[in-house]
Amino acid sequence: MNPASPANVPATRPTDPTVTTLAARQAALVAALVAGAPPPPGFAPEALAATRTALLRKRAGETARYWPLLATGLHPRWLEVFQHWAAGRPPAGALCEGWELARQLQRAGELPPLGADELACWQAGYHYPEPGRPPRPRRLPSWGRVGGAVAIQFAGRVRLLRSARRRT
Amino acid sequence: MTGPVGLGIGWRPEIAGFVAGLPGLPFVEVIAESVPAAGPLPAELTALRERGVAVVPHGVRLSLGGAEPVDPARVAHLAAVAELTDAALVSEHIAFVRAGGLEAGHLLPLPRSREAVTAVCANVARAQAELPVPVALEPVAALFDWPDDELDEAAFLTEILDRTGAHLLLDIANVYANARNRGADPLDLLDRLPLERVAYAHVAGGAEQDGYYHDTHTSPVSPPVLDLVGELCTRHRPPALLLERDGNYPPAAALRAELDALAAVGGLPVVT
Repeated sequence: MNPASPANVPATRPTDPTVTTLAARQAALVAALVAGAPPPPGFAPEALAATRTALLRKRAGETARYWPLLATGLHPRWLEVFQHWAAGRPPAGALCEGWELARQLQRAGELPPLGADELACWQAGYHYPEPGRPPRPRRLPSWGRVGGAVAIQFAGRVRLLRSARRRT
Repeated sequence: MTGPVGLGIGWRPEIAGFVAGLPGLPFVEVIAESVPAAGPLPAELTALRERGVAVVPHGVRLSLGGAEPVDPARVAHLAAVAELTDAALVSEHIAFVRAGGLEAGHLLPLPRSREAVTAVCANVARAQAELPVPVALEPVAALFDWPDDELDEAAFLTEILDRTGAHLLLDIANVYANARNRGADPLDLLDRLPLERVAYAHVAGGAEQDGYYHDTHTSPVSPPVLDLVGELCTRHRPPALLLERDGNYPPAAALRAELDALAAVGGLPVVT
């Protein structure tokens, strides 16, 4: 008998009242992986923890592609800083996530000068009023200012006029 | 078999120059979500098309395995990219990437249940109705299994392929990763999958971390994965192989050597 034939597929098990719909179970799993919800019953906790970490590492890599200066400025602690910030926070897209992280670091006085330069450039080129809404390109000439860093945007081109002061 | 033939590479902006310099390249894969539906294609991709290099749009965010119906706008986007690239085949995953309003950020495995088979087949049918070309479905790598799997992996995948008529995009690195993380023999799966349905196979390098093998695409293809490609070809040689690399890009010579090694193992023409 061909073991892979559909005839060999067992029928659905009797309905278990504790098992809810696939939609609800997928939602509970994603919430546990990215939003700090408790792990759904029955899953191996170590495997879920490893998955959670792998998802954070992947997000860190994607964010670093949009925010290479921020990531470089935080080297060698980039992964650690990003994972600490992102743990339990659902993914919002790499551009927004770097933006939120940079803002938070700025408020805490921990934004490295390279990150300030990069945030100023993004601010000059894009309008990002609030989390949850995607940044939009600015149509009119505009500028961004973060700490000592100043960037201007004209006709879609962004130029860093002054870098943030490098700590010595 | 519809689709690519020969040895290809995953096109990424970071290695566009390297890919442009491969004289014998028959095809590339491009992440569908990275191409704007209204065009234009990145200039380097247009240049490849003009050279006759085929493009396979590869979706990563359709969430065909989601319990909810697949988002028609995402299907329309994949269809538009297929038209833009004049593709003969598109590919996506047997996985879900969001649920309950939250994005997971990566491909998550389905429970291997009848309910999940029904859900994914319904979504594949919805996508097939709108796509201009056939679709190949790729099983994913996962670090965990659902607690109440009813089917083993081969039966689960075969059932989905039978019910949808889709091609199989077999990722050999995923087969290796899953077997290694479950303590299983990857050959058992190869022996039971319908290999004649493979449109093309993915090959990539991964890394060991925290006791798990992660399919990261950021390392060279390891000898055991290359050996497994050989095992696949011994059983049923797929029409095409594709090298995936997604970061930590090596010098061009190293990437060329990886492509040459794959061509040798797969019995395919050298592309470098």
